[in-house]
Amino acid sequence: MTAALVLAAVLAVVAAMLVARPFLRDPEPASDRLDELTERERRRLELAEERDRALAALKELEFDHRTGKVADEHYRETVGPMRVRAAEALRALERFDAAAGGDEPRMVEIPDPLPPPGEPKPPDPVPDPVPEPYPPPDEADPPEPARVPEPGPLGVET
Amino acid sequence: MAPLGRAALLLTFGLVLYALVAGAIGARQRRRRLALSARNALYAAFGTTVVAALVLLAALARRDFSFAYVAEHTNRDLAGGYALSAFWGGQEGSLLLWLLILTGYASVAVWLAGRTAKELVPWVVPVFGAVATFFAFMLVFVSSPFHTQPAPADGAGMVPSLQNPYMLAHPPLLYLGYVGLTVPFAFAMGALLSKQTDERWIVVTRRWTLAAWTFLGVGQLLGAHWAYVEIGWGGYYAWDPVENAALMPWLAATAFLHSVMMQEKRGMLKVWNAILVSLAFCLSIFGTFLTRSGVINSIHSFAQSPLGGWFLGFIVVTVVVSAALIRLRLPLLRSRTTLESLVSREATFLYNNLLLVAFCLTILWGTMWPILTQAVRAEPSTISKPYYNFFLHSFGLPLLLLMGIGPLVAWRRASLRAVGRTFLVPFAAAVATGGALLAVGLGSSLPGLLAYTFSAFVAASIVYEFVRGTRATGSLMRLVARNRRRYGGYLVHAAVLMLAIGVAGSSAYQTVRERGLKPGQSMEVAGYTLTYESLGTRDVRNAQAIRAVVDVSRNGSHVTTLTPGKNTYPVAPGGPQTSNEVSIYHDPRNLGDLFTIADQIDAKSGTVFLKVLVKPLVNLIWAAGFLFVFGALVAMWPDAVEQRRLAQRYAAAAAARA
Repeated sequence: MTAALVLAAVLAVVAAMLVARPFLRDPEPASDRLDELTERERRRLELAEERDRALAALKELEFDHRTGKVADEHYRETVGPMRVRAAEALRALERFDAAAGGDEPRMVEIPDPLPPPGEPKPPDPVPDPVPEPYPPPDEADPPEPARVPEPGPLGVET
Repeated sequence: MAPLGRAALLLTFGLVLYALVAGAIGARQRRRRLALSARNALYAAFGTTVVAALVLLAALARRDFSFAYVAEHTNRDLAGGYALSAFWGGQEGSLLLWLLILTGYASVAVWLAGRTAKELVPWVVPVFGAVATFFAFMLVFVSSPFHTQPAPADGAGMVPSLQNPYMLAHPPLLYLGYVGLTVPFAFAMGALLSKQTDERWIVVTRRWTLAAWTFLGVGQLLGAHWAYVEIGWGGYYAWDPVENAALMPWLAATAFLHSVMMQEKRGMLKVWNAILVSLAFCLSIFGTFLTRSGVINSIHSFAQSPLGGWFLGFIVVTVVVSAALIRLRLPLLRSRTTLESLVSREATFLYNNLLLVAFCLTILWGTMWPILTQAVRAEPSTISKPYYNFFLHSFGLPLLLLMGIGPLVAWRRASLRAVGRTFLVPFAAAVATGGALLAVGLGSSLPGLLAYTFSAFVAASIVYEFVRGTRATGSLMRLVARNRRRYGGYLVHAAVLMLAIGVAGSSAYQTVRERGLKPGQSMEVAGYTLTYESLGTRDVRNAQAIRAVVDVSRNGSHVTTLTPGKNTYPVAPGGPQTSNEVSIYHDPRNLGDLFTIADQIDAKSGTVFLKVLVKPLVNLIWAAGFLFVFGALVAMWPDAVEQRRLAQRYAAAAAARA
């Protein structure tokens, strides 16, 4: 009984020390304010999530096309607007970071669909590659570009 | 040592109450040290709960009958492993297990989330604190496992059906699942409370949800196998209220695991996800309530008590608070994207969600029916198997089909041409299977025929998906490594498919025969000849066993000898109890079982009333469990690329602040 009570007392003291630790370690803090996301940080997070979603969607489309779930004509119809969306999301984040003086590294470019063999090569796109700062969630590496005819300037080129 | 156990629980109560109150004040008033102190209280609560659990385990191991709990659930002859399993065999012990897992999960989840969702943690701590306070309160003031008494000479013993190896794993796994659903709930509520409704709560809890869902699934499968080999009625799932209580949160969590992908990929269904995560948590509490309150008669109601009112109150408060919070934060949860087409992957997820939730709610209605009729008519009325089977067929078969359709359809929008092309192979497989089954005369059961036809469609679509993906990426390993969640998910689908085939085979195509036999007499069942040879008795630990020796042959050749019988336990709660001890032959030819039950034994005349069931493909159900776990592990396995991407996303916010 006594041993149990002594053990219980020790347990209580240890628990109390652990709970009181933030106050004991830092009795007079310069600031006791909890970190919280500012409106600016929330906006940045939203933009980063939007960028990730847009890039992931583009990769999904490429993969679905390569596995035959998306027909060529549907792919051609869809890939342009999705590239525009991805580019807008990336630019929005870049503009946001630039306005705040921040920057993120550029790592990968969004792949351009290649023309099939024998077809005339389309004119070089406007040199404005859309940076992809990381591989998006669903595909670690950008997939091989699909071999479908390029009907005209797409996405970032326009 | 009981005073130490009591003190440890009292300390836990104080600590989690502090985590709730100080955590709420710290988060609300943005006081850093108070919030950290509340978080530390959660860690400390885990430590004190571990001490309480160790005290109870030590008492069970020593058969210390001065603990009323130990005396009520064990006896001296009970095997050591079963004595330890008495920890969760009774109400007080299982509540302690709930609290132990909850404080453990909460501590680890909060600690890990400090890296990616630091700003969310102060709001999550009080939510964990609130749930833990309820359970600690129950253990300290309502149902303590540390009540002492003058030690009797022997304990009351354990319910015979609990003396089974599956009981060492089935309840703890279920509890790991039930309690695990608290983690996504706590983070979802924390996100709503703090108005941080971005994706962080989903990112942080993704693996927790998957792990809880896996534990719940495996726990149910082990429970089904326990019922199959132990209860002795020839089945594995009886739509028992407590079985339903585990199935419902699993269905809600399944819906959530699918719909959360739409939030991650398309920013859609934020409100629906918040509702689903709350529903899954409330149903997990409801499951514990059903198991522990004894309000409904069930083969699982081993511990009946007046806990019902407390649990019901807690469920009502949880439903009201979470619904109010979701309503309050609706403007933040509105999605900016819409469903582009009704023929798309998103749409199949939506249909899947609607069917899963509808199925879950019909089971809830059937499970609550006795309580509702008791309240209205003062006389409980139960809903029987046909009700559940009707909805199983109505919702389960379309769900099975959707499992095959989903992977074949593209995200956003699928053209009919592409759909037609991708459906060709699975559709041909389904038609061929259905035709072959009809040709061999297996069209007697329409649900069975549909289940097998749809299963062929799903199996072909899964294989086709792997083949096309491998072609596109160049290697199977590379394909899976690139997207573990997707291909792990397909493996889980394959496991569910195996389960569906096993269930359809063992229920729609089973054969049942029952007959009284005297020694030397035989009976024929589905090609087997069973000859009852003799009756024998023997002593086993803690019981006396009586067994009928039955020779099994097929086409004149000996196959095996089965020994169904009964065990009589002289020491058991409420007096001596007898249990059915079934004897099973696993037939490798059809992956099925020859299942024998000695329903009645007349020891004087030597007559045995033998019930024999032939259940084709039933072993696929148990084999599915291994594939289920493997698929879940593949889906859960950390993805270095994704980790880097997320770390970069969240580090940028932290760096900006610094």
